[in-house]
Amino acid sequence: MVNFFGNAIPNLQPYSDPQYFVYLLIAVMPLAIGLYYGKRFKIYETIFSIVFIVLMFTNDKLGQGVALIAYIIWQLLVVGVYHQYRIRKNNSLIFYLATFLSIVPLSIVKIMPTVDHGAQSIIGFLGISYLTFRAVGMIMEMRDGVQKDFHWWPFLRFMVFMPTISSGPIDRYRRFEKDYDHVPDRDKYVTMVGKAVQYIFLGFLYKFILAYFLGTIMLPEAKQMAISAGKGLSWPLLYVMYTYGFDLFFDFAGYSLFAVAISYLMGIETPMNFKQPFKSKNLKEFWNRWHISLSFWFRDFVFMRMVFVMKKRRLFKKSTTYSSVAYVLNMLLMGFWHGVTWYYIAYGLFHGLGLMINDWWLRFKRKHLKWLKPNWFTQGIAIFLTFHVVMISFLLFSGFLNVLWFVKK
Amino acid sequence: MKKRLWQIFGPVIVAFLALLILLFAPLNYSHFSVKDEKKAAVALNSITFKNQQLKKQALSDKKTRYVPFFGSSEWERMDQFHPSVLAIKYHRNYRPFLLGRRGTQSLTQYFAMQTILPELKNKQAVFVISPQWFVKKGVDPGEFNYYFSNLQGTEWLDSNTNSRADRYAADRLLKLQGEDKKGILTNIYKRVAEGKSLTKQEKWEIYLEKVVLEHEDQLFSRFQVNDNYDRRILPKTKYLPRQFSYRNLTRSANRVAARQTTNNRFGILNSFYSGRIKPFGLKRLKGAQRNISYVQSTEYSDFQLVLNEFAKLKVNVMFVIPPVNRKWAAYTGLDLNNYQEAVKKIKYQLKSQSFNNVVDLSKDGGKPYFMQDTIHLGWCGWIAFDKKVNPFLSHPTKAPKYKINNNFLSKKWQRLKPNNANLKEFK
Repeated sequence: MVNFFGNAIPNLQPYSDPQYFVYLLIAVMPLAIGLYYGKRFKIYETIFSIVFIVLMFTNDKLGQGVALIAYIIWQLLVVGVYHQYRIRKNNSLIFYLATFLSIVPLSIVKIMPTVDHGAQSIIGFLGISYLTFRAVGMIMEMRDGVQKDFHWWPFLRFMVFMPTISSGPIDRYRRFEKDYDHVPDRDKYVTMVGKAVQYIFLGFLYKFILAYFLGTIMLPEAKQMAISAGKGLSWPLLYVMYTYGFDLFFDFAGYSLFAVAISYLMGIETPMNFKQPFKSKNLKEFWNRWHISLSFWFRDFVFMRMVFVMKKRRLFKKSTTYSSVAYVLNMLLMGFWHGVTWYYIAYGLFHGLGLMINDWWLRFKRKHLKWLKPNWFTQGIAIFLTFHVVMISFLLFSGFLNVLWFVKK
Repeated sequence: MKKRLWQIFGPVIVAFLALLILLFAPLNYSHFSVKDEKKAAVALNSITFKNQQLKKQALSDKKTRYVPFFGSSEWERMDQFHPSVLAIKYHRNYRPFLLGRRGTQSLTQYFAMQTILPELKNKQAVFVISPQWFVKKGVDPGEFNYYFSNLQGTEWLDSNTNSRADRYAADRLLKLQGEDKKGILTNIYKRVAEGKSLTKQEKWEIYLEKVVLEHEDQLFSRFQVNDNYDRRILPKTKYLPRQFSYRNLTRSANRVAARQTTNNRFGILNSFYSGRIKPFGLKRLKGAQRNISYVQSTEYSDFQLVLNEFAKLKVNVMFVIPPVNRKWAAYTGLDLNNYQEAVKKIKYQLKSQSFNNVVDLSKDGGKPYFMQDTIHLGWCGWIAFDKKVNPFLSHPTKAPKYKINNNFLSKKWQRLKPNNANLKEFK
């Protein structure tokens, strides 16, 4: 903290330690004062964003920084050219091509380690997934005709919005722009600041206390115990499952709270990413509460479109088959997005099938179990079951089973 | 509107001020009970080892005289003849405070000592110096970094005098921490290693860092002490003869050890043999130590740092050099002449600087039931240890006048294969 202007250029990873907040909050102060008085200092905000993004990619991360710049230029080209085309024509093939081109960099980054023995692609950088979601969302909305205009500067501003650049939440362009062009009135802004303060402190509790304790202190020990307990099902394996599951939640939810809080201070109402996911009563509800901005993105841009296309072509006889197939494909794709390893794909498949079964159960209950009225007991069972299905899926997701079963020691 | 802003930021300001006070106020937040001290003295976990406040309090306890027992994995061998058990059973006027685990070698001990300098001054100590530490490159970087903490680092910087020993220590520290390590302190270590004196600002930074780390230590160390005391030490006292005499003890040790070493021909504790050697495969270990030598090692200079510190603090310290299990050494091909050469070198380094309290057990590895396993004292070995350590500690005397010779910090000494002629160069 004291040696900020010391010998080396510092490298600041977003929200990684409490010191980061000291720098960030000091830097954001002029913006907040401006917004309080009804003004948005756009030039200052641009400089502020650039400085903090540059500091993410200093020293040994310089390569990633270069990759980010190249990536941005690529996306600007793809989206910009598609916009020019879309003004005139609307051919599906071109739309597919644009989408494909937009996804190419991310695909390379995700597939590379699998093909090349875990080597990281040089075109990768922290946050590439989230930028891709934003760009692809833009193309799709142009295709739908709801996004009519395109200006490169606002688009850029949206893509690399500093608080959410590295890990979301994934905002939508039109919503973001509305906030950006519009300065909240003082009453509303003060309410937002109040929420921001609350979120930052909750985030401290989540990320720096709970996730630290779970992830740094408990988890390594749990894994060690599970490895010595052998490959089968064991109590330590359950311990790993719970520890990892809660660690994942508190780490990511803490991070998202920070991102939302800083956005609020900048007068942007970035959507929340988590809403008490562990009290979900079924898997569908879980995905409405867990990593919300991602699952809604997949719902709007993958799931709905798939159902629409399949229905148009009348692929199936039964109407429920459409959603079942779409669930599995949708989740499978999300699995692939996490990375091309067997456990991410299995995780996706697990949730796809889970949602399918969940849907089937809800229909079955509606038809044949009318007498079954929800009460604290049935709801308790539902929450317990959902929680454990989710925890098992996280154990898959953690990759620990891969270490336990397949990595030679 | 002002009121609303106060409602939002008031608590933040209060929290921030409270944190500042908590971290920087010149207060001591911890007080440990007698029981905590007892538990910490035999806890042997890395937390206790790295912790400061617990050690400080125990070592300056007026009612119970805790004596630091520096060493490594031997302290873990807790049979009933272990020094901690004997001290309790026979109501000695001292209690061992065990410091060391597997991998805590000279340099680690040296930095850990930095957290308890005032508590060591003019007192007594016991130091078990294992020749096994003296492998070519000395302490393993992973092990070293596991036990090193920034608290040790800041305390060390705080007492640094820019001496040759300090420069050597800083250099070692930087090399062991590796290139990737960055931070405020790393830059300061670099300056010390280069022999530059520290600026006012750097001293201020060290001070701030030290205060924060000390308070962190005081606030969070209490949760982490284990129950070795109740589980592994106290229950053992009832297996010891009621009347203290070495004859009784030895008879008891022989009886117990005979019962516990039945599944192998090396005189090794059954559970150690079946748990650690058999699963690995005895055959695979035949001749495995043939090429090991402890004569040339960086450890000799690291050890010199420890000696420097003892001399500076006028600690009256007794050194114990343990043997290896002779049958095991024969089987694994360890060259005992080479072992003796290392012992000779260590003893020369000690005695030539007037560290005269040296207990050399290194030739006793063939005595029956002397070793609990391959390289660690047990049963009769602990009794032999006690025969020397008990009188030394029970009737405390002042430290001899040490004559420090910094040539032991040189590469030349590290690489020396000792003979009577070339040892004289290090007078």
